Amino acid sequence: MLIYDIWFLFIYMFFVGNLIFVSKNKHLLVVLLSLEFIVLSIFFFFLVLLMFIDYDMYMLMVFLVFSVCEGSLGLSILVSMIRSHGNDYFQSFSML
Amino acid sequence: MFFFILTNNNSNKMFFLFILFFSTLISISSNSWFGCWIGLEINLLSFIPLISNSKNLLSVETSLKYFLTQSLASINFLFMILIKFSLLKNFDMNNIISIMMNSSLLMKMGSAPFHFWFPNIVEGLSWMNNFMLMTWQKISPMILLSYYFNKNFLIFMIIMNLIIGSLGGLNQTSLRKLLAFSSINNLGWMIFSIMISENLWLFYFLIYSMMIFMMISLFFLMNMYFMNQLFINNMNFFIKLNLLINFLSLGGLPPFMGFMPKWIIINFLLINKFYFLTFIFMMTSLIIIYYYIRIIYSSFMFNYFKMKWVNLLMKNNMSLINLSSFISISSMILSTFIFM
Repeated sequence: MLIYDIWFLFIYMFFVGNLIFVSKNKHLLVVLLSLEFIVLSIFFFFLVLLMFIDYDMYMLMVFLVFSVCEGSLGLSILVSMIRSHGNDYFQSFSML
Repeated sequence: MFFFILTNNNSNKMFFLFILFFSTLISISSNSWFGCWIGLEINLLSFIPLISNSKNLLSVETSLKYFLTQSLASINFLFMILIKFSLLKNFDMNNIISIMMNSSLLMKMGSAPFHFWFPNIVEGLSWMNNFMLMTWQKISPMILLSYYFNKNFLIFMIIMNLIIGSLGGLNQTSLRKLLAFSSINNLGWMIFSIMISENLWLFYFLIYSMMIFMMISLFFLMNMYFMNQLFINNMNFFIKLNLLINFLSLGGLPPFMGFMPKWIIINFLLINKFYFLTFIFMMTSLIIIYYYIRIIYSSFMFNYFKMKWVNLLMKNNMSLINLSSFISISSMILSTFIFM
């Protein structure tokens, strides 16, 4: 059935998001964007799952609130890093 | 931790500490897996302000690395929760979904094979933040692990934890990284004890956190971060004795307090005929004790390194050190007087 092909989309999006997260990038912002992409795939997955429970979308809103909080925390850490290091390149790390 | 926050004029961090405590309680007492995820997210949200201090380059890097690993782990955890929910696998604990969920929880805890962030971050934090990271942050992932674990996968992870924790600490000169690898090793013991019963895990965890508290408070009061600071020759004798007792207790040597939880776990292992696992537990403990004794003997007995300008003013109020030595030596014997 065509409706079950959508599971592949979620898993594919999730794995691509994880792949970008663990890849070697120049900027930190790319890593945070990949986190948001994984959040988007989970949002879509959650939406489809909750449609099978008579359109009860409240849990989806709670998930959205928490993931937005996490995204903003990541951005604030990015800002803190730019204020102290001057850029968001990964090459400016000095710890092992 | 409260005392430290109050004395450093940082009382706006008390709010985050309060929410940190609450987040663990939310996570372990929720009715659904989604509530567990919410608790883990609040945990991350409230721990990052505690460790980030914008005047320091190192703490920015530390908080960034902590954020990246923990957020990846919790988002993977949520995805696996959704797959478990959609495929209706609520009681079958020996499949790949439980492996993925356990992996993300192990990454949150800092256990092998996802431990690479742990010594780095411990190196960048102060002693009191390390204490929170090593003790309180482990409660919630451990209890979530006990709700849906894959036995074969976890036993393999335990063996990896023990070996990496013991062999990784051999080449360290920084006290924080040493305690980090010791923490990874003790995580192996704790994961095994939570597979047996939660009561046993609670016992091990309380004693472990008490030992870590004694060591960290000693290092914090003397402001020691590296091993060459241990070889100060005009240190008070009782401080050195306390250091010796605490290190040996952490390694699990018999008359001290740290031996008791390990004894109970080894008792369980031998009664149920887990002989190979007992062998690995014993041998890795031996490597850890070797490393501790190597440090303590040098600091205790030889005339290793003499600094004439250090004046440690700990002669007046020794009550905390005396109390912690007393607890470490005698609590195993005194515990036999408790009739439960």
